[in-house]
Amino acid sequence: MKIAAVEAWVEAPLKRFVDDARARLALLLHPSGQVLAQAGFTRAVDVMTACALAAAAHATAGELGRQLDGRGFRGLHYAGLEKQLYLAAIDTARGVYICLTVFDQASSLGLVRMYFDDLSRELTAAAPPLIALREPALGADFERDLDANLSALFGRAS
Amino acid sequence: MSLVNYATREITCKIVYYGPGRSGKTTNLHYIYGQVPEDRKGKMVSLATQTDRTLFFDFLPLDLGTISGFTTKFQLYTVPGQVYYQTTRKLVLQGADGVVFVADSQARQLDENVESFQDLHANLAEQGIDARAVPLVLQYNKQDLPRELILDTATLSDSLNFRGVPEFPADALHGPGVFETLRAISELVLKRLSAGAPAGARA
Repeated sequence: MKIAAVEAWVEAPLKRFVDDARARLALLLHPSGQVLAQAGFTRAVDVMTACALAAAAHATAGELGRQLDGRGFRGLHYAGLEKQLYLAAIDTARGVYICLTVFDQASSLGLVRMYFDDLSRELTAAAPPLIALREPALGADFERDLDANLSALFGRAS
Repeated sequence: MSLVNYATREITCKIVYYGPGRSGKTTNLHYIYGQVPEDRKGKMVSLATQTDRTLFFDFLPLDLGTISGFTTKFQLYTVPGQVYYQTTRKLVLQGADGVVFVADSQARQLDENVESFQDLHANLAEQGIDARAVPLVLQYNKQDLPRELILDTATLSDSLNFRGVPEFPADALHGPGVFETLRAISELVLKRLSAGAPAGARA
């Protein structure tokens, strides 16, 4: 099993969730589609693309919910031939995250939802407050690297 | 908001190509996809109708390589341009670090360009984003069409570029202007990071 996270505090709860719910894969992402953490078997899926599509599906369900029910739908379940997915949001002090869970016959929607509630509680409790840091992330000389890399990408001499 | 991971030294940024229907947003991504080596791009995903009009978005992950010691990845999105996909445009625009506005240079499309540009600003405002603070580049596409059908860049600039942002004439179908546009938006987005703009998910 692979576990990787942009923020360390999500690692343990996410791994526990995958183990307990017997899920194949769990991806934690920002509503904009950027991946924050992954746990489970990721080889079968392009993680970045899966996150972009999951964010879109979640946003669509949210908007449909607002139009049909007055507020966004919180969870979404799709069932395929062998695999199923459960998509739901988690509110934390650092903002809203979306969790995409992929599972198969080894688990069930009920099991996933039960342990998702635990994951949600754990992440909400563990989330440190978001402090907008404003120190420069890149060096001021980034333009030289950018030029060289983009020229290489487009097959041009820099 | 750009995602900066100090532990793995990775930066991920979201760029949205915005503009009226059939202005060439998807064509920009197709051209980029065709030019970039296999190992530097992910799968291009297009959620389109049967007639190839963008229904939800196009998505192209791009690996820009190492910049100032950070592995830098860009996620390029397009929005559906047709007026009635307003809600979808708002969803795709969420969390954008930079916007490329692709205008259609045809004279008869000027009103659609202006309307779409106003729509962009309204959607940013609705998300609580100051449009003046978002990195923006204008691209005047279809400049390869016959002169009598299109407006020159000065006229388009007068109508759209009241912020004085970088602007480029382009022919996205064949390539001219596509690279320059991507380079300019990349520079603006990364410049914000080098100046210490807020970034998310630091480890």
